[in-house]
Amino acid sequence: MPQFGKFGGGDSRQLALLRYLFIRLLLIIPTAWILVTVVFFLMRVVGDPISAAMGGRLPPDQIEARKEAAGLNRPILSQYWDYISGLLHGDFGRSQDNRAISEVVTTYGAATLELVFWALVVAFAIGVPLGRYAATHRDSAADVGLRLFAVLAYAAPVFFVGLLLKLVFAVKLGWLPVAGRASTNVELDLQHVSPKTNVMIIDAILYGDTGYVWDVLEHAVLPAIALGLLTAGIFLRLVRVNLIQTLRSDYVEAARARGLSARVVTGRHAVRNALIPIITVMGMYIAMSLSGAVLTETTFEWKGLGYQLAQYLQARDFVAVQGIVAFVALIVAAMSFVVDAIVALIDPRVRF
Amino acid sequence: MAALAVSAIAGCGSGRTGGGGDGAGLVIGTTDKIFSLDPAAAYDQGSYVPETQIYQHVLNFGPGETTPKPDAAEKCEFTTPTVYTCTLKKGLKFANGNPLTATSVKFSFDRMLKINDPNGPASLLGNLDKTDAVNETTVAFTLKLANDQTFPAILPTQAGPIVDEKVFPADKIADDGDVVKAKGYSGPYTIASYDKNKLVEYKANPDYSGLLGKPKTDTVSAKYYASADNLKLDIQNGSIDVAYRSLTPTDLDSLGKSDKVTIHTGLGGELRYIVFNLNTMPGGTPDQKLAVRKAVASSIDRDALSANVYKGTYQPAYSSVPQGFPGAVEPFKDIYGAKPSKDKAAKFLADAGVATPVEINLQYNPDHYGSTSSEEYAAVKSQLEATGLFKINLQSTEWVTYQKERARDGYPVYQMGWFPDYPDADDYLTPFFGPNNFLQNHFEVPSITSQLNAEVTEPNTERRIALIEQVQRDLAQNHLSIIPLLSGKQIAVAGKSVQGVESTLDPSTKFRYTVLSK
Repeated sequence: MPQFGKFGGGDSRQLALLRYLFIRLLLIIPTAWILVTVVFFLMRVVGDPISAAMGGRLPPDQIEARKEAAGLNRPILSQYWDYISGLLHGDFGRSQDNRAISEVVTTYGAATLELVFWALVVAFAIGVPLGRYAATHRDSAADVGLRLFAVLAYAAPVFFVGLLLKLVFAVKLGWLPVAGRASTNVELDLQHVSPKTNVMIIDAILYGDTGYVWDVLEHAVLPAIALGLLTAGIFLRLVRVNLIQTLRSDYVEAARARGLSARVVTGRHAVRNALIPIITVMGMYIAMSLSGAVLTETTFEWKGLGYQLAQYLQARDFVAVQGIVAFVALIVAAMSFVVDAIVALIDPRVRF
Repeated sequence: MAALAVSAIAGCGSGRTGGGGDGAGLVIGTTDKIFSLDPAAAYDQGSYVPETQIYQHVLNFGPGETTPKPDAAEKCEFTTPTVYTCTLKKGLKFANGNPLTATSVKFSFDRMLKINDPNGPASLLGNLDKTDAVNETTVAFTLKLANDQTFPAILPTQAGPIVDEKVFPADKIADDGDVVKAKGYSGPYTIASYDKNKLVEYKANPDYSGLLGKPKTDTVSAKYYASADNLKLDIQNGSIDVAYRSLTPTDLDSLGKSDKVTIHTGLGGELRYIVFNLNTMPGGTPDQKLAVRKAVASSIDRDALSANVYKGTYQPAYSSVPQGFPGAVEPFKDIYGAKPSKDKAAKFLADAGVATPVEINLQYNPDHYGSTSSEEYAAVKSQLEATGLFKINLQSTEWVTYQKERARDGYPVYQMGWFPDYPDADDYLTPFFGPNNFLQNHFEVPSITSQLNAEVTEPNTERRIALIEQVQRDLAQNHLSIIPLLSGKQIAVAGKSVQGVESTLDPSTKFRYTVLSK
């Protein structure tokens, strides 16, 4: 008897998948609402922008008058209603310098995505081969060493790693630049490229000067390593654990029994399956990196969304901080749905 | 292979629009931030620097000068006790080609007062009643208080840039993008490209006709840093030419040993001081409270704070008016000594019948006046307790809470700092000791108020300076509601080939790109 009446087995699986995805999609609404509400009220705990900007420069009565004029003395629920209404219309607020946060997010988000991309390249380049090596040399001294490296890479504060990298490669050896996304003259010229993408490497390629492309790549190396090492540690351990499990599975045993070499068995069959959980982790990693890149971007003056968020925090621009954090919260909620969908498509067991 | 691939890809590009290509010129790094390019919205040092480059004022301070001189004006004078009249140069124009006339000046000042932005400097124009454009080149400022000698010094401040009435909105703040696009300014530089708080490119304005003259460098770029560490490393590595605001004392100490850069210093006017809340500070009677303040003044070693905590980047301050301003004297040095004296301190307390040790809750702020504040106040605690006359409970609070609490009588004794609006001694007196002063520490003494009003309205310079000196001595001898600790130098670090830095590090706090070259 088919589980869903007249539908066949394939149809019922599709229906289960659609129902699962629909429920997950609906869950985004309360998740996002809770996130942005928490952000709103947390921001109100710390203070108000007028006091932060003018405290100590103006008498308290003038500060109070200006808060009144800016609507900051209104009931908090009234402010909350305006905030939620604005979000529903795509309005994340304006910074103290009157910039639309939606514009800030699109401008600097591109730079952050570029950094995240380079960091992922580093994470893959280091994490996957080392994880594979550790799995195929299980319990050897190298395996123990690599596991230790993975823990250290994951646990080390990104700004500390960044400072060490700068000290060695920028200050002592002088091989790479200290900070920034490009040299000043390159950055100025790339402001005039058309169409400008804000992804510096693409802008440099569009500009059509090899020296500029190299300059941009040089500036990306240290921040990419600093941020990528953290993820490389995660990738290394995931690949190692999954590969060890896969190498024990029946189909790998069968492949071995057919006389295939260990390299072919590991490379063609086992590693591919071991990478599946990494691909699902990547989705969440990209979302989290939008906010997690704050330290890397600040350490290396990488002027992306994390850097901008740090600037607004320093300026106590609570409206701007609230807008960016709310945006990132929505992205995390959306990425959570995307990851759930990918996992469900790859592994049908999650739907039952 | 990689090189070939990159070459091939780059060779395919065709996105140049011809906007750049001539290099970054002189590159100046800073950790300051631009709040706004609209003068009506900005009252901070980060915005003051670009404003200094792109806007012209009626009067301005030339490099090294503390007396305002004609910039857009030919001459200015009091035509009646309440009317300050300026005659503008003929043929002035904004960078966009529009004419700059007396109407532009009237528009700029009317706009500043009308908008009265919460973050703007309109409060500096508190004595301005109205501005009139008498004819195309004559503008008359009518003041509420007669013979206000500080008004000419206010004209070159952030309250006084002249903007184009044809492009700036009369009743609201202009976006930075619009300011850059409309070029409604007439200063020595124009903005060629603007990535806010990231990178700003300035080009010499060929139409500028004013006090600062033709810029020595045609193209100057300002690079904005989040971290003083990166600023320090980039000036050390030669990636930038000048680092102006704000390197830590440790960084400056380290850079001082480098043969690649020069550290330039100049009078800056920043003041660091301790405030006493006269209602809540220790002491049972006003006399006892005064004795406690005098004992504290006699126990602090400012030289040690300057040398040990700030490595000489701040100077000992013996008056609320820093040295270098006309009328500045050092009464705290004369009355309480340049070095701490336990005997003097003990006598003040004993004479007033104050039991020792005096317990003081001392508050400082760790984030608004620089991270070195914690070391500074640890040293103050140590110095006071070393006399055996005080027991200090040292506490710190984040700025947002700090500035609210101190005005609500939350802190009996606490740290504050001051950065001047204009290079006049009065900017260190009236805001601190006048009625309803911004410190809100319950200090209001009629005899001091009279002296302050007298110095503000005294037209004779010598007599005014004498009044300023007298009020400082009176405050130090009889009141000391604040105890000055240190005054800050302005500091810039530059590559060896850079010229002109020191000439712009003066008490006006205007950092002028026009004088820099390499």
